[in-house]
Amino acid sequence: MNAIEIRNLTKTFREKRAVDGLNMTVPQGAIYGFIGENGSGKSTTEKLICGLIQPSGGEIKLWGKDHKDQTVRSQIGVLIEAPGCFPNYTVWNNMKLQAANLGIKNEDEEIRRVLHLVRMDGAASNKFKNCSLGMKQRIGIAFALLGSPKLLVLDEPINGLDADGMRIMREILTDLSKRGTTVLISSHILGELEKIATHYGILRGGKMLREMAAEQLNADCPTYVALKTDDTEKARAILERAFGRADMDEPSGEIRVYHANAEEVAKYLYGNFGIAVSEIRTAKISLEEYYINLMQEGRK
Amino acid sequence: MNANIKNSDFGKRLKTMLKVDARRMFTMPTVWIMLGVSLALPILILVMTSFMGGTTVNPQTGVETTVETFTNVWQAIGSAGGNAMSMDLTSMCNINLLYFLVAIFVCLFVGEDFRSGYVKNLFTVRSKKLDYVLSKTIVLFVAATGMFVLYFIGAMIGGGIAGLSFDVAAVDATAGGIVACMISKVFFALVFVSIALTLATVGKAKLWLSILGSLAAGMLLFTMIPIMTPLDAGVFEVVLCVLGGPLFAAGLGALSAFLLGKTAIA
Repeated sequence: MNAIEIRNLTKTFREKRAVDGLNMTVPQGAIYGFIGENGSGKSTTEKLICGLIQPSGGEIKLWGKDHKDQTVRSQIGVLIEAPGCFPNYTVWNNMKLQAANLGIKNEDEEIRRVLHLVRMDGAASNKFKNCSLGMKQRIGIAFALLGSPKLLVLDEPINGLDADGMRIMREILTDLSKRGTTVLISSHILGELEKIATHYGILRGGKMLREMAAEQLNADCPTYVALKTDDTEKARAILERAFGRADMDEPSGEIRVYHANAEEVAKYLYGNFGIAVSEIRTAKISLEEYYINLMQEGRK
Repeated sequence: MNANIKNSDFGKRLKTMLKVDARRMFTMPTVWIMLGVSLALPILILVMTSFMGGTTVNPQTGVETTVETFTNVWQAIGSAGGNAMSMDLTSMCNINLLYFLVAIFVCLFVGEDFRSGYVKNLFTVRSKKLDYVLSKTIVLFVAATGMFVLYFIGAMIGGGIAGLSFDVAAVDATAGGIVACMISKVFFALVFVSIALTLATVGKAKLWLSILGSLAAGMLLFTMIPIMTPLDAGVFEVVLCVLGGPLFAAGLGALSAFLLGKTAIA
């Protein structure tokens, strides 16, 4: 069963259509990377899923039930924009309130568990307002994890995290996903997202531009050989004839040859045409490049 | 899974919400400040105004001005039916001031939920807005009751310090009437609690909007308070407030829940 199924979802704020006929499917246990430019409707969609704003049209189903159903709502952990904590309360007291909201029986044990997960054991007695940005993000994640929800909705959770924080976040989310928890995560830090996401949804102008599994993205993002020579234009033309596709990467001055082997390319250029290769490496199109290309295509 | 999430019926849901709101309220410094002010306010008013009384004569015009101040401690609680609408110092500076304090406290308490983003956590896992409104109304009513009781105690202390009369008959009231008056006043607080709560759910994080709105509504209702809760209150006033207060709160509570359901939470 899919954790989230959205059909023809729309949300209009006065004249502006923030979400425009959105269709989206998030399988159970997926880490769903939700990508889009600022104002593309990611946060609005997440708020709609969590019932924090009301849709203008369409339907949202969580595990096959309407998203307003109390039984499914209690299975959601959320971190949208910033953790919803009272600044003058300690981290512990803030968590006690949310634990009580969730009706968790063994509150103290559960709070200690989630604080330990995000390596924030020592911050329990700190006032929330005195925590750093990175600490607040981790505490927000701990909040979302309270009660072991089946669905986590995380809006920009890695903003403000240091390298260690990002690593911990990756470990937690991957582990949760293995145990069947579904994670909907939006982020502009695509390099991090690429390391953990099993599915992607790319949004533009409130519409789903592309939705795919990580395998599909891998297939759409081939490996390539990047090389530099003294006669770039001539080498590119030769390689294109020989290997079918060879592009110029303007910023780096590299030629990219797809579906080829680095050694084979270097030998071919030097052996047949006497063109020496100064630099050569094998790389793969990243999610970031894929996304930027997709956005540029869309603008054209 | 370590935690045990309950998806329960209305009674259990309300119990959980009440537990959360009570915990939050009594760990909030503002509530203790409000309770302290409720106790100190009548002491300050009664002791300070005891120095103001008497007659002054303008030396140029020879006109005499008499300042009416508190002569009896029960004037700090209210005035008997005949004097309900008078606009003198004793009518303006009595327990009825607390209604404004209650309204401000409601706005602070509810507004903080929205300002901190706490409502995002709450309404994601709990879809029933009526639970929230009902729970808030109950805990705020309890806090308001505490404030009225403390004001009453403060008035007794202040009256004692200022050397005021405790004679009930002198203010055309009876001991039973004063008890009825206090019960009426406490339940009438539900009107202010629910108005401020509705305005706070409309104003959300805009605290200034809900406070200004509540104070404006309070000004409109202020002249009604002495009529509904006179010092010589009887069964009629008690029944009116004990039934009317909760009914009014239920009506506005339903409106608040509706507004919360129809507007953006975050």
